[in-house]
Amino acid sequence: MKDPLAQRMFFLFGLLIAAGVMGALLSPHFVQTSTVAYLLQYVPVLGVLGMAQTLVMLSGGPGIDLSIGATMSLVGLAIAGLFALGVPMVLACMIGLAIGGLLGAVNAFLVCVVKVPSLMGTLATFFAYSGLALALTGGSPIGGIPDWFGILAQGRILGIPVHMWTVFVPLAIVLHVMLTYTRVGSHIYAAGNDERAAFLSGVKVWRLRFGLYCLSGVIAGLAAIMTLSWFQAARPDAGEGMELLSVTIAVLGGAHIFGGIGRISGTVLAVLIVTTLQVALQLANISQAWQLAAIGLLLIGSVVADNAVGERLRARTRRAGT
Amino acid sequence: MLVALAVLCAIFASQSEFFLSERNLTTILRNSVDLSVVCAGMTIVIILGGIDVSVGGILAVSAVLIGRAYQYGMPDWVVILVGLGAGALLGAMNGAIIAKTRVPPIVATLGTMYIFIAVLFLVIGGVWISGLPNTLSFLVLGDFVGVPAGVFVIGLVYAFSWLLLRRTPWGQRVVAIGCDEVAARLVGIQVDRTKIQAYALLGLFAGIAAILYVARLRNVEVNIGTNIALEAIAATILGGANIRGGIGSLIGTLMGVLFIKITQNGLVLIGVSSLWETVVIGGLLIVVLILDALETRRVS
Repeated sequence: MKDPLAQRMFFLFGLLIAAGVMGALLSPHFVQTSTVAYLLQYVPVLGVLGMAQTLVMLSGGPGIDLSIGATMSLVGLAIAGLFALGVPMVLACMIGLAIGGLLGAVNAFLVCVVKVPSLMGTLATFFAYSGLALALTGGSPIGGIPDWFGILAQGRILGIPVHMWTVFVPLAIVLHVMLTYTRVGSHIYAAGNDERAAFLSGVKVWRLRFGLYCLSGVIAGLAAIMTLSWFQAARPDAGEGMELLSVTIAVLGGAHIFGGIGRISGTVLAVLIVTTLQVALQLANISQAWQLAAIGLLLIGSVVADNAVGERLRARTRRAGT
Repeated sequence: MLVALAVLCAIFASQSEFFLSERNLTTILRNSVDLSVVCAGMTIVIILGGIDVSVGGILAVSAVLIGRAYQYGMPDWVVILVGLGAGALLGAMNGAIIAKTRVPPIVATLGTMYIFIAVLFLVIGGVWISGLPNTLSFLVLGDFVGVPAGVFVIGLVYAFSWLLLRRTPWGQRVVAIGCDEVAARLVGIQVDRTKIQAYALLGLFAGIAAILYVARLRNVEVNIGTNIALEAIAATILGGANIRGGIGSLIGTLMGVLFIKITQNGLVLIGVSSLWETVVIGGLLIVVLILDALETRRVS
């Protein structure tokens, strides 16, 4: 147990179990097999957004994407709107993902080309996108999604929601493999750890980050498709609050806000923790206020813990270096 | 910025004769009082190199405590003290977390915002507090020697902030920390203490804004303060502050506030749905950021 990152995984596991136990204590309805399915219903949307946020943070800069929720709302509306205009659903989804990528590219342009701090750049696009989503629809949702499309988020295979099988798990595996076993992955870590050193050793830092912001937009598009299938309608405020929640999940999962440290597996665990907490409090009929308070405390607590881990990690690398 | 403001006013004035009327200008002013007070604090925190996305939460908690204090029949001065005290205390809490645990300010205040909103829900219990007495309303709605009282409130807050920032050693410390925190620490500036004080000041201003809010509307809604943090950051950046710290101007920020509020008001007057206002603010921010970046590149 010398490895601080492994320690973090154990810490998260412990937290997850604690959340589960708390749920069981709070509500007699929690310990049922149906709870798992219910819980997993919430996981994929939040989960993919958390993974996107993790990637953006990992590559350093410091990177953050505050527009992720607004992008999600806008893509959802675009897909529903296109379908209402007579575009086939599958094609509409493809176009939606492309739009997500495009919206991400605007962020990427601001952050990587104009060199605006990511916090500011994506705050500006957050305003613009969420405003557009509201203004274009006048605040009312777009419905009329065909019933068969609901299968993605409402159907179950072996009791587990379809979008868990088809979107969340594959994406988690692909991103995990990308980060751990490919050159792109090691470049991301390198860029996040030491931008200058990475640049000098030939990593195209800014091109890499540009790609990641675009990817974040595409993933927000995926989240939009899942939400669309779940609610059968596109709401202009579908992604409201998601930006902060996704940052919370990424940070709780061990992604360092300044980049270079973090894992997809941590993010996955963090999503499970947050949803377990939410569902447990919901089932126990405890006010939503406590859910917010719990998330806030978790967020601050995890960064404090993270700083301690990070310091030890740095101390270790220094020792290894000398 | 002044030019942009003038152009904006000219456009709105040419589209709607009502825009320049005395009544409308007073309305704009009254609507901008809370935001401009918060922005004075936000400018100082951004110059310090920090950021606070929880000001909306601070404002909300202070306002709800003010509302409760009123309901218990406290005299005005106690009510004011409650608002100021709550604001300063919550702000100091933010500062302490940021300074002592080294959590990045955006994350720390994100976390405390969740907590403040939770507190708001718990205190308010999902019901509006309304029908509060109007004993303080003169602060926003009143006139003093023919000038709306809001002008004096804004003037006082900004004069105080300007003096603090530009004419005291404390202000110099803030700028020094914003320019280079490590260097500031090395020359013996008590960075942690200054940070806590700056965030507490922002909290105090949020408390003042809460008092003004209650004085103006005489109720406390459940979703009070939701947008003010982002608007305040936008106004500060529009006003020329650099998010990396060290640079910022209180006058510029005030212009930024007026810019946002005039846009909101003008759009409604010329018949554009108010839903477009965030799009306009976002678009403006993007343009300003790009211009800013080009400017720095040209200079360097």
